Amino acid sequence: MNKILTQLQKIKKENRLGIMTHIVAGYPSLQKSEKLLLTMAEAGVDFIEMQIPFSDPMADGPTIMKANKVALNNKTKIKDALDLMSKLTKKIDIPLLFMGYFNTIYNYGLEKFCLDANQAGCSGLIFPDIPLDEEQQENYIEIVRKNDLIDIRLLSPASTQDRIKKNARLAKGFVYFVARKGVTGSEKSLDKSLEKNLNKIKKHLKTPIAVGFGISEKAHLNALKGKAEIAVIGSALLNQYNDKGITGVKNFLKKIG
Amino acid sequence: MKNIKNIFIKTKYDSDNLGHFGKLGGRYAPEMLIPALEELETAFNKAKKDPEFQKELMDLYENYDGRPTPLYYAKNLTKKLGGARIFIKNEGLNHTGAHKMNHSLGQALLAKRMGKKRLIAETGAGQHGLATATVAAKFGFDCTIFMGKVDYERQRPNVFWMEQLGAEVVQVLHGTQRLKDAVTATLQDWIANVDNTYYLLGSVLGPHPYPSMVRDFQTIVGLEVKQQLKENYNINQPDYIIACVGGGSNAIGIFHPFLDDKKVKLIGVEAGGKGVKKIGDHASRLQKNPKIGVVEGYKSYFIQDQDGQIQDTHSISAGLDYSGIGPQHGLLFQKNRVEYHYATDKEVIKAFKILAKQEGIIPALESSHAVAEAVKTAPKLSKNKVIVVNLSGRGEKDIFIVAKALKDKKWQSFLKTQI
Repeated sequence: MNKILTQLQKIKKENRLGIMTHIVAGYPSLQKSEKLLLTMAEAGVDFIEMQIPFSDPMADGPTIMKANKVALNNKTKIKDALDLMSKLTKKIDIPLLFMGYFNTIYNYGLEKFCLDANQAGCSGLIFPDIPLDEEQQENYIEIVRKNDLIDIRLLSPASTQDRIKKNARLAKGFVYFVARKGVTGSEKSLDKSLEKNLNKIKKHLKTPIAVGFGISEKAHLNALKGKAEIAVIGSALLNQYNDKGITGVKNFLKKIG
Repeated sequence: MKNIKNIFIKTKYDSDNLGHFGKLGGRYAPEMLIPALEELETAFNKAKKDPEFQKELMDLYENYDGRPTPLYYAKNLTKKLGGARIFIKNEGLNHTGAHKMNHSLGQALLAKRMGKKRLIAETGAGQHGLATATVAAKFGFDCTIFMGKVDYERQRPNVFWMEQLGAEVVQVLHGTQRLKDAVTATLQDWIANVDNTYYLLGSVLGPHPYPSMVRDFQTIVGLEVKQQLKENYNINQPDYIIACVGGGSNAIGIFHPFLDDKKVKLIGVEAGGKGVKKIGDHASRLQKNPKIGVVEGYKSYFIQDQDGQIQDTHSISAGLDYSGIGPQHGLLFQKNRVEYHYATDKEVIKAFKILAKQEGIIPALESSHAVAEAVKTAPKLSKNKVIVVNLSGRGEKDIFIVAKALKDKKWQSFLKTQI
């Protein structure tokens, strides 16, 4: 069974909100990104996204954009991200997912990438710019699943009923719900219509929901309990790391845990 | 000249319903944007069928923008080059100085119909930003223009005018600080403000329906050429049409009505910069080992490395300094319907000087790429052949760059007195 499904069962059994965090492979260096991910795993998070850096990360805000740029300046290649995945999945047990933009894996070769990702122990992929609409062109979902990976579908507050239904019908593992209109980045408060938006998609979903974009405080997590299954903390944690290093990350995760 | 009534024409190189030009194009956008793109597509399709929409647009083209632009027989240039007859479609005479007004007027009308309150746009040379700021002022939209820091600095006259027109001009500091990064920044703003904001995209690229829609609003250029050749010069069809290609909006505009007529040879000219051998020296996507990718919401050819990372580009003209090319151009390249050549910065400056001195026309540096190609091609052709050059814009905006390239001492000392 895919590790994402096992972890979802575990969270359900323990009746708690799951946590997914984010790192960028090669930021601030390959070695340090490895250490950062291990620290997160030790702190007890449930899922970690490892971003493959890209030159034009359209859905990312300033914090993660900058991390992408630094990782590329460090000459981080897709191969390095795959090697890092392989190394880390041997050390830790929670599911790791690749996050990124379609152009990198398209150029690597989608079939080859999925095969290599699976062999490296990766559990799923989050690629926001390969929507359902291009499935006929790219066979993305088909190829990802053939390689025992889970493609995480994304929904947003702008999604129409029709699109919610179409994505819900196909969804596996969990659905990533973008909490607000905008790019990634931490915010002081959660979007006011978040609960209403979550109810709108829940009607059609059989899978659990992960909520991301702008989640940065314990209060946000409390607000999400019972309304979603997973909270995604990306930029907020990276900001902690940038300001206070590994200790900052540890303390932050302890505080919200 | 008879009034042109329909700009929405079909060719066999059109996209399918999902915006695919063969295997290129499409809508590779994040979920946050797809509903907005669907809304735009529906509004555009509805406007296309509404005769009032075209009537209003034609009125604006004529009475606000100054269309039709002249198709001018460049007699002196023809004589100097000693070959084919050269005609210049002078899009520099559009209001605000370039063809960018054609699609800005069309899209502003659409934004008004959709009830949007704010226009946002990317710009490289500043001509598209200027056109957007202009229509925003005219129609009463709020307006924000995104411009890479490099372009902001080298196209300062346009920044100044955009601000005078009431637009906010934002310098984009990420990535290569050029056109592609401005596109990304504009997409990000759109994601955040999708309800009240219209993204007035400035070229035939981005996710569906932009490549088809921007092309349709530019088709007026080619339709006028067809009619002007016949009515003013009794020429049934040109032998060659030459246009510069960054994203490719002016080129598609003039090519589109001739695509199904294979006797007309079409040449797109990319920015050769310092030469096309080394990545980073040029912005020629189709010259050496063209490579397909998916960036900024569409699939086409991009200058990128093995890992699909977009690479730096260089061109003396900000408007062509772009790593991607519109997906329909990609298809026309694959089908061999359009030949894509390049002109280097040096050739461009030379062509600029020739046109200015021979015809009294100061071309934009972007458009000078097309002139450079004509300078190379015309002498090889017989005198009964006809070349049409699309002069996409006029050159006043480039005063600082051209003066620098020509090392003009008088201008340099004048600048010193102004500080």
